[in-house]
Amino acid sequence: MSITLRIILIICSIIAFLLSIMKIKQAKLKVVNSVIWMVGAILLIFMSLFSNVVEWISSSLGFIAPVNFVFLITIIFLLIEVFTDNIRISELNEKIKNLNHYIALSEHEKRQNNLKNEGE
Amino acid sequence: MPKVLLIVPAYNEKLNIKKTIDDIINNTNYDYIIIDDCSKDGTKEICKENHFNYLSLPINYGLTSGIQLGMKYAYKYDYDIAIQFDGDGQHQAKYLQDLVKEIEENNTDIAIGSRFITKKKPKTTRMIGSMLISSVIKLTTGKTIKDPTSGMRAYNKEVIKRFVTNSSLTPEPDTLVYFIKKKMKIKEVQVEMSKREYGKSYLNPLKSIEYMINMLFSIIFIRAIT
Repeated sequence: MSITLRIILIICSIIAFLLSIMKIKQAKLKVVNSVIWMVGAILLIFMSLFSNVVEWISSSLGFIAPVNFVFLITIIFLLIEVFTDNIRISELNEKIKNLNHYIALSEHEKRQNNLKNEGE
Repeated sequence: MPKVLLIVPAYNEKLNIKKTIDDIINNTNYDYIIIDDCSKDGTKEICKENHFNYLSLPINYGLTSGIQLGMKYAYKYDYDIAIQFDGDGQHQAKYLQDLVKEIEENNTDIAIGSRFITKKKPKTTRMIGSMLISSVIKLTTGKTIKDPTSGMRAYNKEVIKRFVTNSSLTPEPDTLVYFIKKKMKIKEVQVEMSKREYGKSYLNPLKSIEYMINMLFSIIFIRAIT
């Protein structure tokens, strides 16, 4: 891996790491959700620092350039993140829908009870 | 006598809703529930003024959510039969007893109000879509459903319960395939539908294509297999 790429990767990782911590402090990100980003950042830093390990793995797997291997790992990581986010959004959607239904049903019940009380 | 509930989903149907409910009250003695999906045109106010029986959703969530809420209501108050009945004035209440009779007398699980049992499908773009869905249903289940997109469907108690417990079920053709695969009995009953008088349908060309792709994928890759 070229020295420029390694420096870029390290800088980006450090920014990602600091950003996660900052967002937790601002209470905009939950600790549980930030862990995955910190792990990703640490992984990238390790890959930049010990680039000979990456070069060895990528050449024994048959990659033309080690950078391709780094990109592949990053893409897999991102795909997993997007997919789990998708599941999370669906779950939230379902919860909001049920809440929406619950409000409509209980408001209807309240109205019926009021009608009954007026009649008596 | 079975307890019958008409589920009337309504979104911005200010101009049609009163006529629809009058039609129901004058031609049947079934209960009904209007599901106002957070309309912005004052549909709720009309329901209130006329003392209609309605549920009012605080967030707009679409037709599927509306029907599912109707099913929850039917389950909560222990109805035997629940019927989807559009609030836009296209459905006619006089045909409802035929659907109820079909379920009652022939032990049918789902009765569909179909436009094309005795009559031929007109060759409009929308009907080409309907034909495509029909043939995919025929291919995956072997059953002929001539009007799979009809919005007038009657469900018995067992199906109501499934709707409440499985939130992936929708008032769409792919759910019919699900129920056929679960060995439920589905029958079609000839009805007539009128054109909508006021307001606009939610389907535009782009949405129609999206709908078709969703339906075909769901039928072939999800409902037909699981």
